[in-house]
Amino acid sequence: MKILATGATGYIGKHFVRHAILRHHEILAASRRRPNAAIECISFDLNSTAEIHLPLDVKAVIHLAATTNSDFIHPDRELNAAALLLKASQRIGARFVFVSSQTACKDAPTVYGRTKWRIEQDVLLAGGWVVRPGQVYGGCERGLFGQLVGAVRRSPVILAFLPSPKVQPVHVDDLAEGMLRIIERDDIPPGVLCLASPEPVSFTRFMLAIASGRVRRHRWLIPIPVMLIHVVGGVLGRRLRIHLGLERLNSLFDLPLMDTTNDLQRLGLSLRSLPSGMHPSGSDRRRRLICEGQALLTYVLKERPCTSLLRRYVRAVEKLRGDSLLDLPAWTLRLPIALALLDDRAFALSARGTEFAWRLDAATTLAEATTQGARRFLGFGRSSGALMSLISISRAVVAEIIWRVLRIAGAPFLQRYMRSAGSQR
Amino acid sequence: MTSDFDVIIVGSGPAGVSAAFPLVESGLSVLMVDGGRQAKISPPTQPFLTARAEDANQWKWMIGESFHALQKHDGVSPKLRVPTQGYVFEEFEVANRIETQNFVAVGSLATGGLSNAWGCGVARLSVSELSQFPFNPSDIERSYETVARRIGISGRQDDDMSGYFGLDAWSQPPIQMDALHTHLYDRYTKRRATVAPLGFRLGRSRVAALSEDHAGRMACDSSGNCLWGCHRRSLYSASDELAILRQHRNFHHMGGFVVEGIARDGDCWSVEGLQEMSRERRSITARKVLLAASTLATTRLALQALNLARPVPLLSCPTAAFLLWLPRLMGTARVPAFGLGQLSFSLTMQDGISAFGSTFGTTGIPVSEFVRHLPLRRRYGIDLLEGLLSSCLVGNLFLPGHLSVAKATLRDDGSLLVDGGYSDRIPSLMAEAAKRLRKAYWQLGAILLPMSFKVGRPGGDIHYAGTLPMRESAVLGETNALGELCGLEGVHVVDGACLPTLSEKSHTLTIMANADRIGREVALMKFQGV
Repeated sequence: MKILATGATGYIGKHFVRHAILRHHEILAASRRRPNAAIECISFDLNSTAEIHLPLDVKAVIHLAATTNSDFIHPDRELNAAALLLKASQRIGARFVFVSSQTACKDAPTVYGRTKWRIEQDVLLAGGWVVRPGQVYGGCERGLFGQLVGAVRRSPVILAFLPSPKVQPVHVDDLAEGMLRIIERDDIPPGVLCLASPEPVSFTRFMLAIASGRVRRHRWLIPIPVMLIHVVGGVLGRRLRIHLGLERLNSLFDLPLMDTTNDLQRLGLSLRSLPSGMHPSGSDRRRRLICEGQALLTYVLKERPCTSLLRRYVRAVEKLRGDSLLDLPAWTLRLPIALALLDDRAFALSARGTEFAWRLDAATTLAEATTQGARRFLGFGRSSGALMSLISISRAVVAEIIWRVLRIAGAPFLQRYMRSAGSQR
Repeated sequence: MTSDFDVIIVGSGPAGVSAAFPLVESGLSVLMVDGGRQAKISPPTQPFLTARAEDANQWKWMIGESFHALQKHDGVSPKLRVPTQGYVFEEFEVANRIETQNFVAVGSLATGGLSNAWGCGVARLSVSELSQFPFNPSDIERSYETVARRIGISGRQDDDMSGYFGLDAWSQPPIQMDALHTHLYDRYTKRRATVAPLGFRLGRSRVAALSEDHAGRMACDSSGNCLWGCHRRSLYSASDELAILRQHRNFHHMGGFVVEGIARDGDCWSVEGLQEMSRERRSITARKVLLAASTLATTRLALQALNLARPVPLLSCPTAAFLLWLPRLMGTARVPAFGLGQLSFSLTMQDGISAFGSTFGTTGIPVSEFVRHLPLRRRYGIDLLEGLLSSCLVGNLFLPGHLSVAKATLRDDGSLLVDGGYSDRIPSLMAEAAKRLRKAYWQLGAILLPMSFKVGRPGGDIHYAGTLPMRESAVLGETNALGELCGLEGVHVVDGACLPTLSEKSHTLTIMANADRIGREVALMKFQGV
């Protein structure tokens, strides 16, 4: 299908185009500049008032282009540009999808939000679709996401607003997929579709996810009362507020909660988890599998496994067990010896325990077949003799008894992990 | 009509090769066909412990680049997990259309068959054990000698098991024992009188492994690679003998030809199958066909040719395994040693039922094979074994085949269903065996570790026999003294399928001797038609 996309060079646009091309759609970018030589392009400018003529074979129009900085927004120009585009697509009978914002509201605190709302009204009136994405993140570091990543990268601290505003994240590729489904499917009635995680997370948690999943650095939290920002903002006046970005912060504090469950269901869209999406590859499955292998191998070897062994574990599990993960509790990843609590006959018989037992066996077999494993399993390099053997046997038995006691004591805390259903993707 | 060959032998394992020698030597034209699988990964060349300490790529032969050891996680024996021997077992069941219920079916499409990965245990049946065989015991004695001398066996020693094995006249001296076995045997010689009332006798294992160079193969150097593949070829494999057979111009070998059926073709037999390389269906004719495809595959081919749908009984030895600990030798340093049976015992129990078994060193076996059976957390299980295993031995135990209640049935779709099971007497017999062994080894200063005595799954012995037994007057589904199937004149069964009984002893040498005997007799018949 031929799809015309405005804002194809922007953050969401870039991901959408890549996604659409992978699905064998033909993209016609409407842009001030050509995204790349491989993509067909027609000229389009939000500030232009000239009538737009679209090729007849365009079947859908995605309107993504927008000015995001309230400082530079000319609401009427944007409205006009959208109206022209809407008219042009109506003329050729193409679907019209407008990508709006979670802040879109008749009396939003920002011009941006109010402008989006006005365009929405026109689109809905013309029988088009409106997509309201939540907090878009992941993929390349551009747009608001890029600014947030940049801030976390540069600053050793993260501002933790109190009370913390809530955001509803959506990975940029999940959003692109949702947009494509609106275009591709015939059973989605025109209207507003909210695409974001149904469960809001605090903005602080979102920033910490950037720190741990993307920037991979520890960041300190500095609590800032929201009241303080309001007071400072009031003192500075509107122009300065916009200039310093406080206006944008305000819109964050006033973000309306979106009910997205039904819309996601209608599109059959399941969103990836925040930690998964924060990973540069768009999925942290590999990283978590490495952590799992590291924990199991360290538990078996009593020392960190060499890299080649760890890599072998990952390859073996991917080849023989597919994409699933054990999803070990976080404390076992930090303290692999604690896996002794899960390494238990009774657990091995449960559904989740069977997979755990298989992977522990695999880790043992793989660990043994290394020079590192030969030292550990055959005691190479350690002094032999009856006394040494007796000591090592006694220590093993004592340790076993201690862990059995701990296992009984810790049973209530372990139940949650052990009972949760099977391994997770 | 003329046929392509005088004789076609289906299978190149110990039985096929043993039948081939007398036929080829008599001048008959012989074609041997087999699944043709060859080793893909070369066995380690360094001694086991050296390789473990130094070889950064040891995982390639211990686990395999396609993670063979992990893929075969549930296999009944460590042997099935060894990547260098993966080719021996692969696809046997599928290619031969064998399905199982409560039974472990193991077979081989490899050139040389299961002898590429066997335990090398050899023994001769006594005159009384041969009483149900429809021929004079002296008929097979010469074959025992011929085969024993041909393949090279070791373990000759004047001990309490000499008579039991009955092979010393044709054997090489034993391979050097490790410290643990030496200690155990010393104690036995001193305490013989104490353990004799338990029905326990101990002696050197007689094995088809060389202590002296023989037929181009080298003597064992105790490198400890028995499980992983012996690059010195000290362990007998029938595939080594193909080279000798090939020196005869009237011998032909065709690998990669899995036989799907045999059919009468005038006064000849045609063997039909798929040539793997060319994916071409071929049929080859001969005056006589010798089935040596392994008990299970042979049974299917025979039942199919007979169009016999009733179940036939299958003999298989109930087995158990156990772990012995020699406290006096705790802390013994690990040294490279022969990895197969070093000492063997026979155990006479109530009702005259006798059990047989051998003990092995643990050094050449991965510790993970033991640790997963331990009732300890993995981390501490490894700690425990690191201190304990160097003073431990593993043992196995076999009971006579008539104590299994397995049967094989040809199904309408042409597949063979093997339905396994043990006799009701097995639990009490196994308990008795464990008790006697525990007492006997205690006297020898070894502790049979609690909970380590584990009864194997039916079929796990890989000693299958007796589906098409030789009888004096054979009826349908049986064979005559020459293994010739009743109703299919010219088709001889020469592998385990034709044994009328299966004792607790290692049965391979008997299969080979019997195949040699049949081969000899067949060679004397005048039937050439090429």
